[in-house]
Amino acid sequence: MIRISTIDIVRTSLGGTGKLLPVAILITCAFAAFWLFPYDLGFLTQMLIMMVFVVSFDLILGYAGVATLGHAAMYGCGAYAAGLFAIHASPDPLLGLAVGAVIGALIAFFSGLLLMRAHGLSLLMLSIAITMVLQEIASKARDVTGGADGLTGISMTPILGVFEFDFIGKTAFWYAFSVLFIILVVLRVLVASPFGLALRGIKDSPSRMRAIGTPVYWRKVTAYVIGGTIAGIAGALSAQITSLVSVEAFNFALSADVMVMLILGGAGRLYGALIGTLVFMTVRHVAASIDPFNWLFVIGFMLLAVVFFLPDGLISLPRRVAGMIGARK
Amino acid sequence: MRRLCAGLLATAIATFALGGAALAETIKVGVIATFSGPNAIWGKQFKEAIQVYVAQHGNEVNGNTIEFIYKDVGGPNPDASKAAAQELLIREGVKYLAGFDFTPNALAVAPLINQAKVPAIIFNAATSAINKQSKYFVRTSFTLWQVAVPAAQWAAKNGAKKVVTAVSDYNPGIDAETAFGSAFEQQGGTIVEKIRMPLQTTDFAPFMQRIKNSGADTVFAFLPAGPATFAFTKAYSENGLKEAGIGFIGTGETDETTIDALGEQAIGLTTAYHYSDVHTSDLNRAFAAKLGELFPKSRANMASMGAYDGAHLIYKMIELAGTDGDKAIEAAKGLSWESPRGPVSIDPTSRHVVQNVYIRRVERDGGRLVNREFDLVKSVPDLGFDR
Repeated sequence: MIRISTIDIVRTSLGGTGKLLPVAILITCAFAAFWLFPYDLGFLTQMLIMMVFVVSFDLILGYAGVATLGHAAMYGCGAYAAGLFAIHASPDPLLGLAVGAVIGALIAFFSGLLLMRAHGLSLLMLSIAITMVLQEIASKARDVTGGADGLTGISMTPILGVFEFDFIGKTAFWYAFSVLFIILVVLRVLVASPFGLALRGIKDSPSRMRAIGTPVYWRKVTAYVIGGTIAGIAGALSAQITSLVSVEAFNFALSADVMVMLILGGAGRLYGALIGTLVFMTVRHVAASIDPFNWLFVIGFMLLAVVFFLPDGLISLPRRVAGMIGARK
Repeated sequence: MRRLCAGLLATAIATFALGGAALAETIKVGVIATFSGPNAIWGKQFKEAIQVYVAQHGNEVNGNTIEFIYKDVGGPNPDASKAAAQELLIREGVKYLAGFDFTPNALAVAPLINQAKVPAIIFNAATSAINKQSKYFVRTSFTLWQVAVPAAQWAAKNGAKKVVTAVSDYNPGIDAETAFGSAFEQQGGTIVEKIRMPLQTTDFAPFMQRIKNSGADTVFAFLPAGPATFAFTKAYSENGLKEAGIGFIGTGETDETTIDALGEQAIGLTTAYHYSDVHTSDLNRAFAAKLGELFPKSRANMASMGAYDGAHLIYKMIELAGTDGDKAIEAAKGLSWESPRGPVSIDPTSRHVVQNVYIRRVERDGGRLVNREFDLVKSVPDLGFDR
């Protein structure tokens, strides 16, 4: 097994021309998907939203090494915040996104103050508990949230006053893609910054980081708040595009799916998160339409195979193959 | 000249015939439901009932072939439901949508069907307010108001004076509590206590104690069918409520797909509901026989009936209006027919099915448990639509 040191990864991610290639690939893929699958824009948009969500979790699990199972908390709060804002305050989509982001950040900050003091199992349990409490609140506060029926009546004005949400979902697709793109750019800068390096250090050895004077706890809280902000944006996107929020936004299965997608693609790599989401959702979509009863087997075996043979996720596949060819020579 | 005329006539007839043939088309119906995960039973019941209907009535209406396309959404998931509806409408060009097991899944497609002017037939989702979100919604299942009010009226007529309501704490439960409570008090009864139980709990012993202490003579319960109902009825019989003379009245707790799992403790439970698979009519026997022939392991329940009547309604709408959504909805209003569950019709205002609500008691019938009907309340509309 080839172990690539942290420094190497950072160097490659800081490189000049290598920086533009993935961006170009991303944009090409978006256009290709748009032209090749004009009938699946609804599904593709869902996938883009999920990518935003998984990338936000990548920052927390992949970079800072904090394993939680309650990431849906921020997603759900962002969704409800954006939904309620659209109904009661303003139907402007971008303002709604901002509100979702702020609420996601606030929830992440207050829960993070507690969560980031915990480790391992107790952290997992606490993060699940917080999400369940929020879900219970959403389902009890029927007058505000609509409870189990879902929050209805969300309607959006055109984005920037120009791009109206259309029936086929073209606007929604490009809207979600633009948001994902901006978030990726911001995150790339962030993970290559000293702050990003500190997170990697904390993941590898918290005690050493503490010894060199890094405020480990506050770094983790900061990472959690940034992750929460982005998760809130993902939730807001979903609320605006579906025009409905249900209590399932807090579902435990959602938090678990996100972790599976991330591990599948490769935690600690931004594009790993994208690949994981792409593969997971495509397999689920295709397998579920072929055999709705047994598609979970496919996902299960795929995950087993990846964890055993590609512990760094699908994104490490080219390097592994190259390594094997190199070893033969 | 005559030959020319004959030739022209022949050509005209041929053109007409060809034109007629070209008019016949394949009309697609998109069924959105849950086919995977813990709620997969909904999709399974829907699909089987549709297949039974097609086996009995063929797949052609006015020369048009009807094709059903099934889409899985994996549970209560409005995002997936909306994306599935988009895909069905845009790629498959479906002229009718159907299915919808959970309320949020139905609500999510309301803006789409309004824009596309495509009728959506709801086979289950039982919140009254759904039909207000779009004039293209028609429902063939039931609402909680529709069954809880007859339950209250029947209980009041049959000696219940003080009732305690015990419902699962989520929207359908609250609907049931309000519907039963208001109807029972209108009949002169008293609701002594309203208990709301957590949706996830399976430990009902403390609630049984509260029910006992409340001094009520009857408990009206609403729980989702499955593990919760199992635990509740178990607690009901183990804590001696039956012996203490506290009667039980419910609605859909004794669903045919889970009733056998409830076992002996379920015997004697009284419920008010719109369908039992042992309803005595020739139509229902024919339906059960066909279902048994195609799917030997299956048993019909209310979801099957929602889908079966839904399929009938779609056939009728196509027969009367083809693929014109607005016309089809107009045609559906006021339509009435004989269903395996009894006489039904579509109320023009609420676009919801008007049906008999039966009072049933759980009995043993050979190797299985059944809901035996012994009384009925006739032609009940959706009583919750105007609230």
